[in-house]
Amino acid sequence: MAAPEVHHLFHAPIADHSFSADRNTLAVARENNVDLYQRSGKSFNLQDELRGHDKTITGVDIAPRSGRIVTCSQDRNAYVWEPSKSGEWKPTLVLLRINRAATCVRWSPSEAKFAVGSGARIIAVCYFEEENDWWISKHLKKPLRSTVTSVAWHPNSVLLAAGSTDGHARVFSSFIKSTDERPEPSAWGERLPFNTVCGEYLNPTAGWVHSVGFSPSGNALAFVSHDSAVTVVYPSAPEQPPQAVISISTQLLPFADLLWISESEIVCAGYDCEVYRFSGDASGWQLTGSLEAAKDGRPGMEQREESALNMFRSMDLKGRGGVEDTKLKTVHQNTINTIRVYQDAGGDVQKISTGGVDGRVVVWSL
Amino acid sequence: MANINWRTINVDAYDPESALNFPITTLLPANLPAPSTSAESAQIGQQVRQLLRAGDSLGALQSALETAPLAGDDSAKQVHHATVLEVLQGIRQSDVSRILNEMLKQPGGTALGDTLMKYIYKGMASGAGGGGKGMSPQATGSGFTQIQARNFGEGGGGQVMSVLLSWHEKLTEVVGVGGIVRVMSDRRTVAPCTKLGRHPSNNCQAQ
Repeated sequence: MAAPEVHHLFHAPIADHSFSADRNTLAVARENNVDLYQRSGKSFNLQDELRGHDKTITGVDIAPRSGRIVTCSQDRNAYVWEPSKSGEWKPTLVLLRINRAATCVRWSPSEAKFAVGSGARIIAVCYFEEENDWWISKHLKKPLRSTVTSVAWHPNSVLLAAGSTDGHARVFSSFIKSTDERPEPSAWGERLPFNTVCGEYLNPTAGWVHSVGFSPSGNALAFVSHDSAVTVVYPSAPEQPPQAVISISTQLLPFADLLWISESEIVCAGYDCEVYRFSGDASGWQLTGSLEAAKDGRPGMEQREESALNMFRSMDLKGRGGVEDTKLKTVHQNTINTIRVYQDAGGDVQKISTGGVDGRVVVWSL
Repeated sequence: MANINWRTINVDAYDPESALNFPITTLLPANLPAPSTSAESAQIGQQVRQLLRAGDSLGALQSALETAPLAGDDSAKQVHHATVLEVLQGIRQSDVSRILNEMLKQPGGTALGDTLMKYIYKGMASGAGGGGKGMSPQATGSGFTQIQARNFGEGGGGQVMSVLLSWHEKLTEVVGVGGIVRVMSDRRTVAPCTKLGRHPSNNCQAQ
């Protein structure tokens, strides 16, 4: 396992981050602006700043093929930034028509629309209307009872998974007649008009759902919630109870984000500041370990013994405990907020990137 | 019209989107145990005590946790809470680790571990103030009795707390911080509602 590539960008929390398709541009949400970093050699340098929002930006996403950036913020707005020939980014305001903060935004795989979750118990699915030359939104409202914390698209760009603070993870159909083609029938449903709820799932311990994700084929849904549990749902047929709902309660602190790296493996990261892997299938899932496993065990023990001597010595000399007690043993020094795909080869993800509250973006090799 | 004091109207009750009108039942899973009353809890308590006296500590603890009245009313939860405290105090310190490991190895063991953690926290919350072993609040009579009860409670309360703390330590070794987080986020509580107002922000199930 190669060593992780750490980029300590600044000393402020990163709410969301996204790489461009060639991985040379990194967009990072920093308070009210988005910082664009350009890769030069082994590090990233600040190249541009996207200013426009009045309040904290909560979501950033770069569309891989078109290069457009969408940002959403607590000021109830979303902007789509188009790259121009001269290197300037032109913002276009999107009318979300929400009266609370937007919490998350993701482009669909087809890049013709994007979904914005909000605190107004609404998901705004936005698409570009040619006649009026603007981005218009349609609202998914019906069974949502509380803030939407995260959205994730199915590969067919019609099904949308949403996690919410009412403890449920739901799958909606966001079919828009002018923009989408009829999707293939799947385990989630066949005829799917807009705002059909294809599934609603709840953990027995019902904590706030922090993140949802479809498997690469779209045949399974996983979500992580605040009760330190990861739940994987395998649907059987529309209107039928699911084939399997597997909930793994962990002994760790809750996770904040998850990512499927193959049909049978998930990586999750959260308040423990570490990335963990889970593997399994419809019959069961288990925690298989952390991406930082090398730190535990013998070397750690020796360090601890030595630091006891150093601790007392420095307590004598300088009046405080050892140096070790202010730095975490993990790479990230604070909660990890987002995990994104960095490099994948034909379905299996080989590298992932994580961004956290400590202002670091780290690229891990799996 | 002039007699109505507009300021005392609870506006939130009329707003369908307010937190007051949030249906808490939607947060509870479909597989809750049936609502139970204090009579049923007392019966269960008897059975558990029999198991404990017979020496089957593991069985007593397990049956006490499995029959936790997650959907019961306040008095049921109170009675059951007393039963669980008795079981916890009745198991020897040396047996605690072995019993915990055995209980959690079985299928459905994590759920039992979470329920046990809920009872430990509930016990710690009420142990110092409410007095010791399984005394229900109705036990206080005249002032004199109260003083006596309180003195006894102080000594008894301290002992309960040390038992609970040692259980907490052993349980955390097995269940980890995840178990503690689940105590805080789970809507199915084992604690009777003690707060005065029926505000939806407290963990009350009976709404």
